Amino acid sequence: VENKGTATEKEIFNLICYMITSARNLVEETKMYGPFRLIDASSRLIEILEKEDLSSSFLDKVRDSIENNKYKVVTDKDGFIRFLDDLVLMMVEELEKGG
Amino acid sequence: MSIMDIIKKRRSIRSFEEREVDDEVLTKLIEAGVWAPSGGNAQTWVFIAVKDPQRIERIKAISPGMFGTPAALIVVCQDKKAAYEKGGELGRDTVSVMDAAMATQNILLEATARGLGSCPILSFHKGGLKRLLKLPEHIVPELIISLGYPAEAPKPPERKFAEVYFLEEYSGGK
Repeated sequence: VENKGTATEKEIFNLICYMITSARNLVEETKMYGPFRLIDASSRLIEILEKEDLSSSFLDKVRDSIENNKYKVVTDKDGFIRFLDDLVLMMVEELEKGG
Repeated sequence: MSIMDIIKKRRSIRSFEEREVDDEVLTKLIEAGVWAPSGGNAQTWVFIAVKDPQRIERIKAISPGMFGTPAALIVVCQDKKAAYEKGGELGRDTVSVMDAAMATQNILLEATARGLGSCPILSFHKGGLKRLLKLPEHIVPELIISLGYPAEAPKPPERKFAEVYFLEEYSGGK
């Protein structure tokens, strides 16, 4: 993956930049931004997978859920935590389907 | 629109249309910024407008607080050397940050009045941004304002009034 490569390579490179910068900034930022950055990075990763036709209907649903709920971190902290709990349970249900 | 209408209309916008922001509009926004108050009339701010999509993409990569694809950015900086010369340590470390914030609010309101969406961003890497903008050591970026025509109309979060407003003296909880 190179910054000068294909559009997808660039997007992956930018996502890595985002995660590294987040790691640094979170040293000082408010605690709740940690879960926010992780969930946002998940959404960004799924977006890249979608463009490459490597996603799935399940992951698309996960991304929709993230996009519809992620900003609760600044408006409804309890709602944000409930959303994360629900999302984990959704992932577990899918994990179990894998056998 | 009254000033109160504009204040209440402003939202943090994180999704933008693919539509350019004219240079003339950017100039007006920065004019609104330089008309903000500053401690001791220091006016030690520096504003950098960015429109080049590649540069915006690079800045976004090191700005976790930036969302969507803004058509333009205004980076509100402070000349810390000048701020120290004018206001000492208090001027450099505190007043200059407040001045940048007041200039930013002016820009946000002018942007709203012109139909633009905006979002003030503090979550970025200062050293990385300084390098991308070729800023000398003493020019420090305080805030990034992302700008563009809004592709969303978020609802305003609830505001408290009775709990935060007191007349003459504080009568809230201790």
